[in-house]
Amino acid sequence: MSHGDFAKLLEAYGVPDFVWTVRLRRPEASEDETHAPRGSEVWVHGTTVIAVKFDKGVLNVADRRATSGNAIFSEEAEKILKLDDETLIAIAGSYAAAFEAVRFLQHSFKYYARSQLQEMSLEGKLSEVSRVLSRSLPGALQGIGGFLPIVSAFDKEKNEGRIFFYDVMGARFESREFGAAGSGAERIRGAFEYIVRTKGPFHKMTLEEALHETLLLLEIAASLDTATGGIRQSLPLAKTVTAEGVSDVPEETLRSIQKTLLKE
Amino acid sequence: MAFTPYDWQQTLRQKADYVEDRLREGSPVVGLSCHEGVLLVTVRLAQQQKIFEIYDRLAFAGLGNQSDLETIRQIAVDFAHAEGFARSPQDVSIQRVVGVALSPAMKRSFSDPLRLPLVVRGLFAQLGDTPEGDLFYMLNYDGEFSLGHRFGVAAGTESAREAMERVLSQFKISKRDAALEKALEAWAVGRREASGTSESDWRAVLAAALKMGTVEAALLERVSQRERRFRFLREDELRPLLPR
Repeated sequence: MSHGDFAKLLEAYGVPDFVWTVRLRRPEASEDETHAPRGSEVWVHGTTVIAVKFDKGVLNVADRRATSGNAIFSEEAEKILKLDDETLIAIAGSYAAAFEAVRFLQHSFKYYARSQLQEMSLEGKLSEVSRVLSRSLPGALQGIGGFLPIVSAFDKEKNEGRIFFYDVMGARFESREFGAAGSGAERIRGAFEYIVRTKGPFHKMTLEEALHETLLLLEIAASLDTATGGIRQSLPLAKTVTAEGVSDVPEETLRSIQKTLLKE
Repeated sequence: MAFTPYDWQQTLRQKADYVEDRLREGSPVVGLSCHEGVLLVTVRLAQQQKIFEIYDRLAFAGLGNQSDLETIRQIAVDFAHAEGFARSPQDVSIQRVVGVALSPAMKRSFSDPLRLPLVVRGLFAQLGDTPEGDLFYMLNYDGEFSLGHRFGVAAGTESAREAMERVLSQFKISKRDAALEKALEAWAVGRREASGTSESDWRAVLAAALKMGTVEAALLERVSQRERRFRFLREDELRPLLPR
């Protein structure tokens, strides 16, 4: 009996779950070659994903560039994904690992709800994300499968949006106003503080205002970071989570803000 | 103890009688396609839930022992989610859940003389892109199943099933409320057939049942922004269609 635990179910069915934890060992490699990459090589990932609160919930925006070293793989990557109808995840890092983790989490949440006939609590979902991260650690240490997620959810009990970010071992932190991950995010960190101190907290902004600020942040990140696509080449992705659940920010809304920003 | 083929046949017959006896009084379940999706409708005479979400486009309803419904449901949910993750959600079909994961195992269990039979008759529904694409599988306690389009029924007796199917076969696919009303009519007709009352008005049969029971109705939504297509109909959606 799995009692709603999806990892146990997969084990019982013999389905491999975390494929990125497979150890890659080259027997001929010398010790020097197999050392774990230094922190900056592992944890800095070419992208910018941003989560900020607004008056009705949480807004997530991300550029759409996927890179591998200096090469641009895609300008259509989707780095904000729906974990379920009430939860969003924004990912930075190894796309393969993150995508598998998201697939696992999506199934894990709905498996729990359907098999146990009750929804998984927000706390339960957040712990499940931690668990997935800690299990992907071997891959992360080898520099092949590390990723950092930002989870956004609407807390129905507190009636407010909430933002959580993680370290690569699965430690969870809650953010009061904003969260960002990826190589571009590190370069614009101070700008978030500047906005909060000069324009007021994000959670008091309307969706329109929050979109304006975050798309501008994305554009600044793109100008400082080659791995961030910004808003010029392709339209960024934006999703919200509110009391009504997850929804996409319509393309027209994004396009009009993009136009205004590029004119300024 | 010698075990002859005669004994074996006798055992199966006794098992079947045992199950049929217990199913006879059960509250039937109805599945019906409409424009908005697939409706599953029944009346809870006891407190237990009878309609369940299985997977993104799959739902299950049944009558019988609650513990046996639970066994079937768990196998279906487990299989669907393991498969949906190992391959893709599109590869989880009613045909695989019922035909591969459930039916052979139920057959084996039923024909094992030393095992207690499952007291259950189930109805599986799969949502299609159009009402024509909806599928209904009726699964019996002995593992046999049959396929239906537009509607499906699981009832306590053969005659109740036939009477309900006659009602449902007259239904032309239309809106949800019309389908819900037709499904309630079919339920009441099945109930009347099984209980042997002479009441001719199906609404009166339903009203009598609702004195101690409640309507349980769920919809697999054809068009939805939500990931989870399955939802129970709310009290305010049901009330206008129920007898006062």
